[in-house]
Amino acid sequence: MTGLAAQPQAPLALPEPGKRDWSTKFTHAILLIAVFTALFPSYFMFTTSFKTNEEYRYNKIGLPQQLMLEQYGEAIFQNEFLRWMLNSATYALGSVALSTVVASLAAFAIARMQFRGKNVLLALSTSLMVIPPVVLVVPLFLFFVQLDLISTYHGTILIYAGLVTPFSIYLLVSFFRTLPTEILEAALIDGASPFGVLWRVVIPLSAPALVTLLIVNTLYVWNDLLIALLFLQDDNMRTLMVGISVFQGRYNHQVPLTMAGMVMASLPMLILYIIFQRFFISGLASGALKG
Amino acid sequence: MIRTRNAFVPYLFVAPCVALLAFIFGYPLVKIFEFSFRQIRGFTGPFVGLRNYQLILNQPTFHDAITNNAKLLLAVPIIIVISVLIAIVLFERVRGWRVYRTILFVPYILSVPIVAVVLKNIFQFNGPFNETVRALGMEFLALDWLGDPNVAIWTIMIVVIWREVGFGIVLMLSRLLGLNAETLEAAQLDGANWRQRVLYVIVPQMRGIIEFYAVVNIIGMVAAVFAYVFMVTKGGPGTSTQVMELYIFNMLTRNALPGIASAVSVMLFIAFVIMILILFFLLRRSRSRELA
Amino acid sequence: MKSATALSLGATLSPVMKPFAQSGVDLSMWYWGEQELPGLQAYVDQAVAAWSDAGGGTVDVLLQDTDVVIPQFQTAAAANNAPDVQFLWNGIYHMESVWFGYLSPLNGLVSDAVLAESGATDLSHFEGNQYRVGWYPLQMVIFYNKVLFDNAGLDADAPPATWDALLGACDALVSSGVPAFGGGIQDGFWGEWYFGQALAQSLDTPGEAIQLFIGDLDFREPRYRECWTRLEELVVNGYMNDDMSSLELYPGIDKVVTGDLGMSLSIGTRIPADNAAMDGNLGIMKLPVFGQGALADKPIVDSQGLGISTNSANKDEAADFLEFLNSPGQLDAFWNVTSWMPSNVNWDSSVIEDPVVQQAWDEWNLGEQAPYVSNLIPAQFWTDAMFVASQSIVGGNMTGEEAGEQNARVVQEWRDFNPDLVENYQKWAEDLGN
Repeated sequence: MTGLAAQPQAPLALPEPGKRDWSTKFTHAILLIAVFTALFPSYFMFTTSFKTNEEYRYNKIGLPQQLMLEQYGEAIFQNEFLRWMLNSATYALGSVALSTVVASLAAFAIARMQFRGKNVLLALSTSLMVIPPVVLVVPLFLFFVQLDLISTYHGTILIYAGLVTPFSIYLLVSFFRTLPTEILEAALIDGASPFGVLWRVVIPLSAPALVTLLIVNTLYVWNDLLIALLFLQDDNMRTLMVGISVFQGRYNHQVPLTMAGMVMASLPMLILYIIFQRFFISGLASGALKG
Repeated sequence: MIRTRNAFVPYLFVAPCVALLAFIFGYPLVKIFEFSFRQIRGFTGPFVGLRNYQLILNQPTFHDAITNNAKLLLAVPIIIVISVLIAIVLFERVRGWRVYRTILFVPYILSVPIVAVVLKNIFQFNGPFNETVRALGMEFLALDWLGDPNVAIWTIMIVVIWREVGFGIVLMLSRLLGLNAETLEAAQLDGANWRQRVLYVIVPQMRGIIEFYAVVNIIGMVAAVFAYVFMVTKGGPGTSTQVMELYIFNMLTRNALPGIASAVSVMLFIAFVIMILILFFLLRRSRSRELA
Repeated sequence: MKSATALSLGATLSPVMKPFAQSGVDLSMWYWGEQELPGLQAYVDQAVAAWSDAGGGTVDVLLQDTDVVIPQFQTAAAANNAPDVQFLWNGIYHMESVWFGYLSPLNGLVSDAVLAESGATDLSHFEGNQYRVGWYPLQMVIFYNKVLFDNAGLDADAPPATWDALLGACDALVSSGVPAFGGGIQDGFWGEWYFGQALAQSLDTPGEAIQLFIGDLDFREPRYRECWTRLEELVVNGYMNDDMSSLELYPGIDKVVTGDLGMSLSIGTRIPADNAAMDGNLGIMKLPVFGQGALADKPIVDSQGLGISTNSANKDEAADFLEFLNSPGQLDAFWNVTSWMPSNVNWDSSVIEDPVVQQAWDEWNLGEQAPYVSNLIPAQFWTDAMFVASQSIVGGNMTGEEAGEQNARVVQEWRDFNPDLVENYQKWAEDLGN
């Protein structure tokens, strides 16, 4: 586990000026194109959101002549972005919490206890990581309708928690295995129960892994569309992703208004990203490196 | 190892997890097999043997769905090459690489539906992209990105690549930052040029992560493009961007044929298992050859 | 087909409405429509409150999402969890639920007068029973821009009525520098609207359409594939807007409103806002006539409706609620809250101010109508045949003849996928055959 605290070494220094050859220009060109390509859609989204419909007809990529804020008024007040965001956050945090608890218990037993079938369990759980949700939705959908779990917070959280749990287990098992045995044994000798060891010793030491789980799994739930479309049919229960789909269907004839909505929709993650940039990058990367 | 007084205790620890996985994975994976042999209306229906499979395998729309997923696989090498290339450029010789990394990761921070809506507008026939290339006199680039059935699947692919590369760069870069700096510096001192260093020193050391990322992307192109397709084209024009996930979704919702949807789920599941086994077999073989 | 006289006669003879539910039973209702008719949700909330005030108990309402209106209801009905009152799209969108036994016949529950006058259309009938009460109408129209017609030297008050006249008008519009006919087909609904209007022209009865969709008649026959060859003709002649394939339905219609397109398929609910945006220069017309069928030249009206589920424990109260929604006070409230008309022919239309809305009500709703045969399309024909053929023809990748072949093939596939439904479709074709 590289962990979040581990500082990456500095990249290699630039070659001395005299050595600059065609490849330097080449790499600069690559970076210029890459930055432009990465930012242009955001630039387009942002600038267009301030234009009038009329202006957008003849000025598609230029800066807006004036800052029209009306679109934002309509996007915010005629729609329910805030509710959609709160819903998404609820599903994400609820399922991440549930999954983390369940996975911590199991991962602790797998990593630190001896029992029959634990290798099979770990292998099975790990292989579930590659099962795409789409192969699961048909029976789940029918079952949820039978149980009247469609459009409920607890039903949805259960699905999302289940879907992210194999990854949680895999990551936590490999992390728990790296913890020094002496600390755990010392706690046991002091009379702590296995659960006490997990709760008071292991979890406090696992911050890097937990942060990774929080980021990777929250993003997964936040970004999901398929489950949200099928299992959340009540207007009040919609997630932001489904809300975006509804919103763009409602306003697809007004590009500036659509873009104002997209700006709204991208704000939560963009703000979190700007504030917690390091955590995002190292969390996602180490999640993948460990996965 | 922690020894518990009661051998039963570890099972208490894993029980909630087993229950959750059994419910969300176990139950559906068993049920899709059962459903796939039935002609389901509502929750159940008569047993029809392999009929659902026969029907699907003979249906052109299903063939189109498979073909399109296969076409999207072409995105995998493209994503990898771009990610590795840019990551190396950032790693090797660029001042302010952290700023670049921050910027290049932005596409991945935007959710798929947002990306889809924005790029869909950019690629309108009379939208910003086409107007710009027309103004630059490059009329041949002003394709009907969304409306031409020969182009639309590649448009989807562009959208996928645009977003996923953001993650690829960060992943590759974080691997590079963990590489053995001494080898790299030694190669630089030995007078190896940029191309030689990349091909013979850096890329071989990244082999593991590249293989891993390839597997992730292959899985993604086969079974995680629903949001892109649903938001950009809904499978059209015609069936030119139909994919398996959308096919299952339509069969479950619009066509109300859960039996058919289950049969596709079963095929996708089996294809997945086979694909994963082959991939791991290939990876293991290439590993052991390396060691030999 | 209903005629205006028969309907107004029915209205005069309708019995005095009985007082509404005294029981105070709690009902549940799932509905859809806010998506196409903003304000519907506000209306429903108002109606539910009014119903309660009238002593009718509470109604627990749920606004459904487009993709799941049908599967959610069907799966709930199969588990005996369906709501008392369910929103129902017309035609096949509720008839399959009828066949699965999820919907209760309304005859005997809801008064005959309300059944006849609510505007549910013929497509709500099966084997002598009616399963929907009409709620609000959707007139299938073609929008045209009167200013562009004037610019092209056309008579804006006499839009083309025949196919030849349409071709002539298209030529004139194109010569004047605007694309003549089109809109946006990227999301597929334009194709459905076109198909519903064009296919009807080759039909004598709606039952004939069903026979086509189940393969008892053949789409490869020239008269039945003519709807596609006519579309091909418009495409080949270069009348369509060049971005039609990449635009969605509503942005396509907007091109007429903004003066960038002469004509587009549209729908009644759009008239009030669009005519206001065009300073009264919006014109509406039927699809010009090419076909020889008895349905050709009749205005096409679809309607949204409501029904009662079989598992409802409160069918009488649910029926009372549906009658309540069709009472004069509620019909007026519908217009007041949504700015759109209810489909009940007894509605007092004197509140309409926009002459184009008035034209839609008089000529479409009160005239001799044809039902919207796209509502008879099985889902699989929609996704695999109609969607594919219309987009491919507009994109120039398919001919009308090929579309006929393609449709016939999908029809056969549908039969294979849904063998349990064929017999019901055949019965329904008989119901709608005269």
